[in-house]
Amino acid sequence: MVSPHNPVHILGVNFHELKLVKKALESFYGLGPQLSQRIMAKYTIHPRARLGTVAPKTITALTAELSTMTIENDARRIVQDNIKRLRDMGTIRGRRHAMGLPVRGQRTRTQIQTARKLNQLERGGTHSKI
Amino acid sequence: MQPTRWLMKGRSVWKGPHIVPLPIVRPAAGERIRPIRTQARAATILPSFVGLKFQVYNGKDYVDVEITEEMVGHKLGEFSPTRKPFIWSRAQV
Repeated sequence: MVSPHNPVHILGVNFHELKLVKKALESFYGLGPQLSQRIMAKYTIHPRARLGTVAPKTITALTAELSTMTIENDARRIVQDNIKRLRDMGTIRGRRHAMGLPVRGQRTRTQIQTARKLNQLERGGTHSKI
Repeated sequence: MQPTRWLMKGRSVWKGPHIVPLPIVRPAAGERIRPIRTQARAATILPSFVGLKFQVYNGKDYVDVEITEEMVGHKLGEFSPTRKPFIWSRAQV
């Protein structure tokens, strides 16, 4: 057990040692429940384990594993390139992304908060944790 | 099957891409042809369409669409917007 309030570094990001490993992994863009479950199974980490209880060797292994994966800016770029391709082709879908409106024919009279939030050319934001 | 799969985008394999008989004429060398006028917005763009010019109906007029390589697999209607964005102007009041 690491001494109290010792931050744990995964891929250059500081996490509190009491944070769940699952939550820490899923805080990276492009890494969801399925992948985090798979990674934790690979390194035999308990699903409810906290970062402080994981051996430092395993943390290093996790960092090595994550650095080979398509996460954060690489993952964002894939999504943004796909939207950009639609826009450059001149499709209606690309245009709807640029306007921040629903893309697949949903109503726009009410309830377009999700579209406003997500349907942007720079989807996923430009800010990276790493 | 694999080469046709990406043409279909989730359509059943046994159906194949949605092919509409379009009046496509191959121009002779140096000869210019008129764009292909069509209302078949649901027609899948096939690799053989690349370089052709279409006029796709949007419910009001025919929108000029020139097919490039990356458009293959999309539908003709995706390039012909059917709605006009609302822009408020004093003249409308």
